[in-house]
Amino acid sequence: MAAPSKSAVILKAVKRIAVEFCPFEPNVRSTREFLVLVGSEKARATNMNCEVTTTVKHNKSEPVVDITYLDGERLVMKGAKLTSSEMMSVFQSRCIAKDPQAKAGAKK
Amino acid sequence: MAATLCAKLLPKQGWLPLTQSVRHGSKAVTRHRKPMHILRQKLMAVTEYIPPKRVAPRGAYPPQTKKVQEESGLALLLKREVQRVFQDCKMIAVAQNNASNSEDMMLLKYRLYKHGIAVKFFPNQVIRSFLADSIYSNMAPLFIGPTVLLVSKEPKAKEMLATLKHSPQMVLLGACVENTLLSAQGVASYSKLPSVTVVQGELVSGLTMLTSHTASMLQRHPAHLSALLQQYVKQQSPDSSADEAPKAEEAT
Repeated sequence: MAAPSKSAVILKAVKRIAVEFCPFEPNVRSTREFLVLVGSEKARATNMNCEVTTTVKHNKSEPVVDITYLDGERLVMKGAKLTSSEMMSVFQSRCIAKDPQAKAGAKK
Repeated sequence: MAATLCAKLLPKQGWLPLTQSVRHGSKAVTRHRKPMHILRQKLMAVTEYIPPKRVAPRGAYPPQTKKVQEESGLALLLKREVQRVFQDCKMIAVAQNNASNSEDMMLLKYRLYKHGIAVKFFPNQVIRSFLADSIYSNMAPLFIGPTVLLVSKEPKAKEMLATLKHSPQMVLLGACVENTLLSAQGVASYSKLPSVTVVQGELVSGLTMLTSHTASMLQRHPAHLSALLQQYVKQQSPDSSADEAPKAEEAT
């Protein structure tokens, strides 16, 4: 269930991704899986300028994924009650909406 | 076959009859699906399997008998290895690596080995089953996803943090230093602590400060000491006389 339906994660329209979580909380599994998918070599190879930063906190706060796109839009996902596949699908739909021509060209 | 039987029916040579009675059907075992005889069809319909009705749908209640699967030999071996690691090493740090290359991994291992820190990989299930039995059960939620254990006999937090700064993929989640669970910030503050000898020296110096002060005073010239003591007596007496004066005023 961790792998998305489309195997490639394309980060072309993303400026930076900031992931924060508290590892001792029980609700961080989906956030960590999302981080693994987004921080993988393939995903990072699609856009070398995109920074993926991780902050490990210990204040019982909720896990948050903050994505900043190239046109300034921000997508904030609170991963406490979400699954990693939901987060992935939302993220990818947004990415595709941002950059449809490049994606369509790459897919073809 | 039909031709030999119908030889008498054919009036003239070479005529095929209008109707041909098929006396021989196909054999029992055929290449095509043979249509079932009506009696067989009826029998099959009557003897169909009717499953027993369940009171609750499947999965509504948990099963009464819990299946406890035995751990495989490899799991037991790894568990013993994990136990040995936990016994030997004072510092055990848990980090998550989001896809480091093998060469990054190699560089990291080399740099850490110079400080005496080993990098260990164990399957999460084995670690979790080990932690559930041991006293380190609060570390269990750390082990999700691709995790790496950084273990060392001496708690060298500063060097570890400096080495991990070089590789952005490794995210330090927590550490167990001398049977104490620390978070990432805890490890950072632990690395900033001075060493044990320094702290002991500071403590000893703080405790002996008063006595050393007294000793240094006694070692000075006795005239100086007597002058100090007289001054002290004078200080005491004005205080006591000041106390007595208001009391006398109150009495009268």
